[in-house]
Amino acid sequence: MLETTLSQLEASARERIAAAATAAELEAVRVEALGRKGALAGLSKQLGALPPEERARAGKLLNAVKAELEALLASRQAQFEQEALRARLDAEWIDLTLPPPGPRPGSLHPLTQIQTEIEDLFTSLGFAVLDGPEVETEYHNFDALNIPADHPARDAQDTFWLADGNLLRTHTSPVQVRGMERFKPPLRMIAPGRVFRHEEVDASHEHTFYQVEGMMIDREVSIAHLVYFMKLLLACVFRREVTVRLRPGYFPFVEPGFELDIQCLICGGSGCPVCKQGGWVELLGCGLVHPNVLRMSGIDPEEWNGFAFGLGLTRWAMMRYWVDDVRLFQSGDLRFLGQF
Amino acid sequence: MKFSYNWLCELVEGLDLDARRLGLEITMKTAECEGVTSFGAHIAGCPPDEIIELDNKSITHRPDLWGHLGLAREVAAILRKPLRDPVKLERIPAGEGAVGVAIEDFDLCPRYSGLVFDNVTVGPSPLWLQYRLEAIGLNPINTIVDVTNFVMAELAQPLHAFDRDLLHGGTIFIRRAREGEFLTALNEETYKLDRTNLVIADANGAVAIAGVIGGLDTGINERTRRIVLESACFSGSSVRKTSAKLKLRTDASMRFEKSQDPVNTVRGLARALELFAQVSPGIRLVGGLADQKKEIAPPEPITLPMDWLTRKLGREVAPEEVRDILERLSFGVTETAPRLFSVTVPSWRATRDVSIKDDLVEEVGRMIGYDSITPRPPAVACTPPPDNPQRMFLRAVRSALAAQGFTEVSNYSFLSEERARQFGFDPAEHVVVANPISSEQGLMRLSLIPEICGNIIENSKNFESFRLFEAGREIHKQPAGLPREVPHAVAAIYSRENGEQNLCELARAAQCLVPGAEIRPAAARCFEHPARAAEVVWRGEVVGRLFELHPSLLTGRAALIDLDLERIQRLSAVEKRYRPIRRFPTSAFDLSVIADLRALIGEMQKQLAGLAGEWLESIEFLRRYSGPPIPEGRQSVSFRLTVGAPDRTLSLEEVGAIRARIIDGMRALGYELRI
Repeated sequence: MLETTLSQLEASARERIAAAATAAELEAVRVEALGRKGALAGLSKQLGALPPEERARAGKLLNAVKAELEALLASRQAQFEQEALRARLDAEWIDLTLPPPGPRPGSLHPLTQIQTEIEDLFTSLGFAVLDGPEVETEYHNFDALNIPADHPARDAQDTFWLADGNLLRTHTSPVQVRGMERFKPPLRMIAPGRVFRHEEVDASHEHTFYQVEGMMIDREVSIAHLVYFMKLLLACVFRREVTVRLRPGYFPFVEPGFELDIQCLICGGSGCPVCKQGGWVELLGCGLVHPNVLRMSGIDPEEWNGFAFGLGLTRWAMMRYWVDDVRLFQSGDLRFLGQF
Repeated sequence: MKFSYNWLCELVEGLDLDARRLGLEITMKTAECEGVTSFGAHIAGCPPDEIIELDNKSITHRPDLWGHLGLAREVAAILRKPLRDPVKLERIPAGEGAVGVAIEDFDLCPRYSGLVFDNVTVGPSPLWLQYRLEAIGLNPINTIVDVTNFVMAELAQPLHAFDRDLLHGGTIFIRRAREGEFLTALNEETYKLDRTNLVIADANGAVAIAGVIGGLDTGINERTRRIVLESACFSGSSVRKTSAKLKLRTDASMRFEKSQDPVNTVRGLARALELFAQVSPGIRLVGGLADQKKEIAPPEPITLPMDWLTRKLGREVAPEEVRDILERLSFGVTETAPRLFSVTVPSWRATRDVSIKDDLVEEVGRMIGYDSITPRPPAVACTPPPDNPQRMFLRAVRSALAAQGFTEVSNYSFLSEERARQFGFDPAEHVVVANPISSEQGLMRLSLIPEICGNIIENSKNFESFRLFEAGREIHKQPAGLPREVPHAVAAIYSRENGEQNLCELARAAQCLVPGAEIRPAAARCFEHPARAAEVVWRGEVVGRLFELHPSLLTGRAALIDLDLERIQRLSAVEKRYRPIRRFPTSAFDLSVIADLRALIGEMQKQLAGLAGEWLESIEFLRRYSGPPIPEGRQSVSFRLTVGAPDRTLSLEEVGAIRARIIDGMRALGYELRI
């Protein structure tokens, strides 16, 4: 008799748990079936009237039904909670493509970027990075570099002179001299920086541009070593192996002096407007340090050898980024500078 | 410098490389060939030619390469072909010269040679001669002048012809010009000369500027019947100085300033003598060679050790090959000991170009080809380089600003006087460029601000808002010596309106460089917003300025900060020491200060902190408010103060005492407090 009621009650509760559409409805089912004044509670009150042996069996049965319904309610409850969470989070949808507020990221000047790469390369090879003044003495810019007054090589470097007789450095080479004055050999150094030439400005000429100077002085320094470092430098800047050629070039502060060309990266050497159909592009000047230069800085050329190189960063940046107007670098125009 | 391929073919026996391939060989072994172009058409006796152009800068050290024979010598050496020297010295007869030569200073003129001719006829040159000159860019003029130009182009020896009948007296003087002496030159310009200029003179006065240009009055003309042909050698630096001073560069001066070979003067005359006979029939040499010269000792032989050469090149070259190379280039080679050469230098390489063994490294290196040297890393001590903290700091500044949204610009170091004045700088305080490109760029910048303002104005035409910065050097004039170059960073935020926000954001961005800097209002400079200018104080020193650009200078609003990076770097160098994390709870309370609308919050904060004493953990600005119920002209500023002791929890009474002390203190300072 009690068993029949119990199984009817269980079946009806299962049905109503399954049918509950909201958490509130489910709660009503729970109160009705399992609450203190609910159906199961009512039945358990009747247990006392049963004979002892039957009471135990019916009690067990009742507890089993109760446990089963509780589990069912809990799982249904969890389902409702999860749905509610999902709905709440869904309401929090936002458009992630919305452009973020605040300033757009800034960027470093292309020349700063390329210069940093070169500094890092040479620092990793044990070279010091040195600085020198932009306003230089005639001695450091010319004389100490084996370019005495009235030397025709001075023509190649049209110079801004200052009212006080000093000048704006025409190359970063004077930092070589300052490096040798400051440090004893052996010495490995580079000197990037701003240089000036007295030149009218147009798409391919600037009076203000950037160079990197490099120098190594040690007991054994040869052309073979120089070329080794130049190839590392080029691979760093152009991010690939490049074919180079070394040919005679004249710079008073080196002997022998070289011009270093790379095979044109645009046409691969077959000839194009960039390499003026020649297949090669002139990239830097270098050579073994002239004994006069060493001597003037108090270094014995019989004991020490060195190589030096200098390159125009601005021109390299033009090549790397395909810039066809050199004036853009000093223009301050964010339409240009914002691209790097 | 232009070279005729046909001419080179005449000087190099069996030259069988075409002009283009020859140009490449010359580039790789001698000097830079800039290009090869065709010249001419089919005219009888004038075969088409190819012009090989060398970069003048690549031959400034090679006086011999300013003539075809010099290049032909190189080509012959490179290709192992015989050279045909066109000079026949034996054509000059023995005997006294028909003109006297008096050299005042042999340092300025080591040699002066001359020949006198009569029965001269002056007319147009034959076609072949005109064609040859035109091929290399020289204008044919007349027989006499054309021959002098031909010889110059062939032997690199400039010649000059005077009309003998227009010269006064029988002696040519080579002397310094007199102060204020005038000469009207062949270009019809009149030059005022001084003691630094060397002139050729007759009994009456200057007739030519030595090594630069001849005089008009004694020049060759249709009526010329007798000439004096000059072939001289002048000091390179003297000619260069004169040419630079007179702003007059000529084909002759360009060659002389490279330091020409004194041996070449007579060779030039011999060559001219032969050509005159061809182009001016009937011409007659009068007398022999007039020749005055300083005795020039042959240069000392150079000692060249083979092992040293190997060390320089970075590869071994067999001694026989070294000898072969040097001999092909006309050096004399004697082996004085095993693997030790004594090398003599040919006269045309000895004036400036080759004098030490390092110069011979180049001769050998270029002839073996530098591509035959295998690149190799050096075996050197592995030591860390000396560091450069300034540069590392500059790098950090740039990265920090870029990360805060600022784009880096780079401006010229120059500005005009007018611009300097516009920004309230005294032009007299600037370093002055003696030869500026234009008056716009006559001064060296004393501040990065003027150019940054230019950047702002230009970019405001294209952008509604932007941030930019420059890190560069200010150039400060010093009483003596080089100027001081001070690294500065100027950063700017621009927007169409809302200058206040620009300033706030800039001050916040600057925190990455000068954390905790104090902003101290200061009197505005002429280009600053009169009510929005301040000094940036950091670690007790003024390190920069924060301001809004005067709104009348632009459309829109721009906030700027100018930081002295040298100073900031110096102040950055403080040792950091860890402070133990507080283990006991702190207490916080809020206070609102009622103050005048323009009372400085930074000031209040400092005062509150001072009153709070040693247990103050932090003080935080919460908000400001003005409006009812705060009386007009006043504001309410709220702060949160947090206090705590390092070794225990403060009691309520202790916290209350601190609070009371602050309130009393602030009231004593004249503030009203809302509690």
